Parts: sequence; C-alpha cells; structure tokens
Amino acid sequence: MAHKILVVDDDNALREMVGIVLESEGFEVCFHDAGSGALDAFKAQEPDLVLLDVMLPGKDGIEVCSEIRATAGTPIIMLTAKTESEDVVRGLEAGADDYVVKPFDPTVLLARIRARLRPLSKADGETVQIGPLTLDIVGHEVRRGAEKLLLTPLEFNLLLTLAVKPKQVFTREMLLETVWGYHYKADTRLVNVHVQRLRSKIEDDPDNPKIVTTVRGIGYKAGQG
Amino acid sequence: MTIRAAIDWALGLFRRFLQVRAVFTTVVLSGIALLVVGGFLSYSIGNGLYQTRVSQILAESERGVVEVQNTFAASTVTDEIALQSLLNSVVPSLESQGSSDSRKVALLRTPGQVGAQILQSPISADLDTAVIPIDLKSQVRNATGKLTYQSIGLPQVNGSIHPAVVVGSPIEIPLAGKYELYLVFDLNGEQQTLDFVQSVLFWGMLILLFMIGAVSYFVTNWLVKPVQVAAEVSEDIAEGALDRRLTERGEDVIAILARSFNRMADSLQKQITKLASVSKMQQRFVSDVSHELRTPLTTIKLAGDVIFASREKLEPAAKRSAELMHDQIERFEVLLNDLLEISRYDAGAVAADLEIQDMNGIVGSAIAGLEPLAQSRGSVIEIKIPSGPVDVEVDGRRIERLIRNLLANAIEHGESRPISVAVGISDSAVAVSVTDAGVGMSRAEVDRVFDRFWRADPARKRTTGGTGLGLAISLEDTQLHGGWLQVWAKPNEGASFRLTLPRRQGMIFTQSPLPLPPKQPKRKEVAGEQSN
Repeated sequence: MAHKILVVDDDNALREMVGIVLESEGFEVCFHDAGSGALDAFKAQEPDLVLLDVMLPGKDGIEVCSEIRATAGTPIIMLTAKTESEDVVRGLEAGADDYVVKPFDPTVLLARIRARLRPLSKADGETVQIGPLTLDIVGHEVRRGAEKLLLTPLEFNLLLTLAVKPKQVFTREMLLETVWGYHYKADTRLVNVHVQRLRSKIEDDPDNPKIVTTVRGIGYKAGQG
Repeated sequence: MTIRAAIDWALGLFRRFLQVRAVFTTVVLSGIALLVVGGFLSYSIGNGLYQTRVSQILAESERGVVEVQNTFAASTVTDEIALQSLLNSVVPSLESQGSSDSRKVALLRTPGQVGAQILQSPISADLDTAVIPIDLKSQVRNATGKLTYQSIGLPQVNGSIHPAVVVGSPIEIPLAGKYELYLVFDLNGEQQTLDFVQSVLFWGMLILLFMIGAVSYFVTNWLVKPVQVAAEVSEDIAEGALDRRLTERGEDVIAILARSFNRMADSLQKQITKLASVSKMQQRFVSDVSHELRTPLTTIKLAGDVIFASREKLEPAAKRSAELMHDQIERFEVLLNDLLEISRYDAGAVAADLEIQDMNGIVGSAIAGLEPLAQSRGSVIEIKIPSGPVDVEVDGRRIERLIRNLLANAIEHGESRPISVAVGISDSAVAVSVTDAGVGMSRAEVDRVFDRFWRADPARKRTTGGTGLGLAISLEDTQLHGGWLQVWAKPNEGASFRLTLPRRQGMIFTQSPLPLPPKQPKRKEVAGEQSN
C-alpha cells in the first residue's frame, strides 16, 4: 500500500518538483497551495504524512501545524527556509515531528519521510508498564488507569523507547537515532521540544516530571531515581 | 591595619572626588596663608608691646637714677648712721608693688674698692640678686652715667617665670664710694596682654579656616553639582536611556555645557536610531532573501538531482551538463549559506548556542567529515590531543564548522604533505591548531587572509570549492565566543591557524595553551617575517 503524502507549499514549481520526487519513489501525493484551507485539504485527503512549508500565504505553516495537531497525530515535517532558532522551535512546539531545511537533497527528504512512516519499534510482549501508565504496543495506546491519553505516533514511540529500558539513560543523540532515525548528528532541540510536549500530556505536573525525567548533562530516562 | 584602611579610604575619597580635593587644597593653602599672617601679627604686636614698655622703663629708670643721685649729692650727712638711713630710703622710694607691674630695686656696692664695706646694701624684700646677670653688672661698672638694660626671666614663688627687664646704673655716693643701682621691672602685664592677643588670633584664624573650608565646600558643590549630574546622565545614556537630557538654565558656562551635551545626545540618539532601523531592515532583508532564494534553489536542486540520477540515459553532452549542473548547484548552495551567515553577523543577529562539550569530540567529527577529501588529496592528518575529555563551553555546530573550514584550507594548500591537528588545554582556555606544510603565505597575504572573498593566489586552481567567505565567517565565529583566531605562515613552509577559546564564557585568558608558530626546529620565523 502506497503511503499518501500531502504537500502544502505556495511555490508551484517546488510543489510539482517535490511531487515528482515522491511519486518516483512510489508515494501517492496530493497538494495544497495555501495556509488557508490546508486543514480542509488534510481532512479530505487523510494523508499518512504532511510536508508543510512554514511561510504560507493566508495562514502560516506553524498555525496550520497546530490546527492539524489538534485533530490528528499524523506525522508532520516542516519545510523551512529559516534556520534561526525561533522558527524551528516554534514549528516543533506547534507539533511538527521533524523539519527539513531548504534547499534540501531529495535523499534527505526521502529519508526523513521514511523515518516517520516506519512502523514503531518492536518490543517484547504486548504492553509495557511505566509508572501509572500502560502502553499498549499493538494498539498504539497509552492508558492511565481507564483514561486514554492521546499521543502522536512520535510521542508514543519516544515514550516507548524510554519505557522499554527503564533503567537506562538515553542521550539526546541516542533518541535522535532510535526515535527520529537520524544516523548522523542532528538538532537536539527536536528531542528537547518533544520531551516537553510529551510531558505536558502524561505528567501530572509537567514542571516537576516523574515519568520522563531529565538526567542533567546527559539526557533523559524513564522513571525516577 | 585599621589606620592603614582609614588612610586608604581617605586617599580613595581624595582620588574619586574632585570636590574633596578642591576643599582640601583650599583649606591647606588658606591655612598656610593664615599661619604666615598670624605669625607676623603676633610678632609685631609682641615686639611693639616690648619696645613701648622698654622705652617707658628706661624713662622711669632715668628719672629714678637722677633722683637718687641728686638725693645723695644734695645730702649733707656725715655720719654712717644717717647715710645708712638715707640709703635705706632709696629702695622704698623707687619700689612699687603689683601683681603684674612690680618694680624691685637693689643698690649694690661695686666690689673691688679700697676700704671695707661699712654700709648695708638696701635690696627689695623679695628680690634675689642672683637674677641680675653678671655680664650686665660688668657693663654697668664700665658705663659712665648711662643706663644699661637686659631682659631676663624672673622666677616666681609659684615656679613660673615672668619676663622682666633689669636696668642698671652706677651711682656715686659720697663717703661710701661706688654703688650700682638696679631696677627690676616685671613685664608680666605685657606678657599677659600678648598671650591674650595671640589666643584671640589663634581662635579667630581657626574659625576663619573652618569658614573658608565651609565656603569652598559650598562653592565647589555649586560648581561640581552640574558636572556630577552631567556624568550621571552620560552614564544613563551609555546604559541605553537615549532620551535622558540635562536641564538648560541660565547663560553661564554650565548652561553652555548642558546645551552642548544635549545637542550631542540628540545627534547620537538620531544616529543610533537610524543605525538600528538600518540594521533591522538589513535583518529583514536577509530573512526575505533567505526565503526567496531558497525556495527556487530547492526546486533547482531537486530537478538537478532527478536529472543527475538519470544521467546514464542521456547523450554524452547532456550527461556532462547534468554533472556540471549538479556540482555547481551544490556550490551555489554553499555560497548562499555562507553569504546568509555573514549577513546575519553583519546585522548582529547571531547568538551562540552555548553548551559544554568535549573539544576532542568536536575536532574528531570535523576530521571525520574531511577524511575522504584528505585521502583523495593524499594528505595524512596527524592528531595530537590531550588524553581525557577537554570540556569547553561552545556553540558546537559553529566550532566544528570552523575547524572543518581550517582543515579544508590546510588540505587545499597543504601540497599533499601531512597536516597536524593539535588540541591544548589550560585552566582558562582551550586551543586547537591546524598546521600544514604546504605553500604557506607571505606577510602581505597573511594580513588579508581573513578578508571576504580574498584568495591567496587568484591564478591557483581551486579544487575544493571554498566560497572565499570561510575564514571571514570563522573569524566572526571566534569573536562570537570571545576567542582568538591567529595565523602563522611562511612561504613554501606552510601555515598554521590557531583557535583559542575561553573554557567558559566570560573567562579571561592571556595565553594560548598551544604555541604559534608550532614548535618545530626548522620553523622559527614569526608570521610573515619573510615576504616575497
């Protein structure tokens, strides 16, 4: 089954070119050319992944990103021309899973897309327990008691990676490799921002985390102590 | 210790405050002037009092002596008893008593005369004849009919000594021979007057000095205050409160200062506001250019890649074109990135993303990234790093890029000879040096090596495709970290770049942990000493 990718970009040539590259790799591609209406296009097409330009007429990509995130956990990769910290961090905070800086190589773009569409990492058994949370690996669900928590696939994957080895401290680089699929150095802000987003969903007090804790100067681990 | 601290405090006060200095100087100089005037007054008054009194004394003595002499000359006594009683009457007639104005009398027989002394010398009751100086006595004996005087100290019963004057005169007494009449005048009254005048002078001048101090304090305060206010306002302006101004009042020099100061501040504010808006526009421009250029470049890049991937299916000319286009797109991309980076620095829009990292690791990954290029050029990279991690607070991305850039230059100009990379560490600094043994540079070239788009030898074939902005950006990156980027080079012997960074931001270092030029016996010359 071919994955369906929604490309939201206002530049006609780039949109078409990205379409050519993706179709030649066997993806099914649909397009939208503005920020306004992007959410409707998303709902109508139900894509498996969204490529979203940050600078869009009407409504900027970061807003569109928040809107999509409010309705679905579908992977979103931002296309950004700006490498300045603020733009990238704003995009990630709005819920983008990853970002690609223009001008990008087709190989880089494809690698990022494939990493996001890759099935979740396998774990032994069907459920993993971490603190008060139960992770259902097959159903991709997280429950606190009877309450079901809504995590994006990326957040689920991040939590699962930590939860499977509760004693181990993961460096940001290790998480970038296992969760995001980067094999070479990448932006550690990806990890920082997504850990924050994850905490805001699973922790009772996100400022005083108990499930995903920070190990100063090294990285993160599941549980306390 | 506390005295020293007090002195230090006073000296500090002195150095820091103009006003303290002005008041101190005024008081000291006035004090000296008052001392001179007071001394002169005191001396003149004392001298005047003494002289007046002495001439009065001499006149009195003259009268007394003449009177006594006449008494004896006119007497017709012939027997000793009558003579004695006449003699005895002399003393009470001349003597006078008073606490401060006493006059005492002694009538002494001149020694060394023929015949034994038959008469008793009359002397005032409380006069000790020992106070009459011997040299005065001899002067009196030799003088003929003239008064001789001398000042002496007159011991009192209570132990104090009053100033006094002794006046002596020889007297001829019929039947009895030569006598000497001494009158002792106590000058205590004059002394008391003088003491009083002196104490009045002293206290008066002390009060005057204090008042001069106070007046100079108020006057200097009045003058220094506007300067102080101006200094405070300048400080505020320097801190960024560009709209602070001085109040302009009156027509005096202070008002002129205030007006000029305000005009300067106005013009500064205008300039700074203008520069700030230019800088903002620049940043805006950079941001716009970045988006506008990057989007078409992305399309070109993707298209180029698609064509490049299928180049085998193309005719030879088209195939070669696809290859050239592919390479040049990459070069264009690097150039665009470098341009944007340097514009960001120009706009002051760069902030370091600081983190404590291992410099060995950064150097390692920089080398790993360039190893393929070094191999293709036949250069061996030798590494000399300290064992154990070298922790340093840096923006790892920038510093790795910087080292990669230095390495790329070394490979480019290294003539396939070994390249050495060293890491050094001290308490306050971390250094990385990259040294090649290639073509090197002349002094003139070294001077321009950090200039934008400058190339050592324009005719030289370029193979690694640097943009000409690499070292300019490297220098900016170094300055962003508060570090040094230095170069040593010598034609045909090679070049060495040394990066020195503070271990933690804000640390002060005065020396790099690594030498420049690198320690090697055959390279002793300093950078660019020899030029050709």
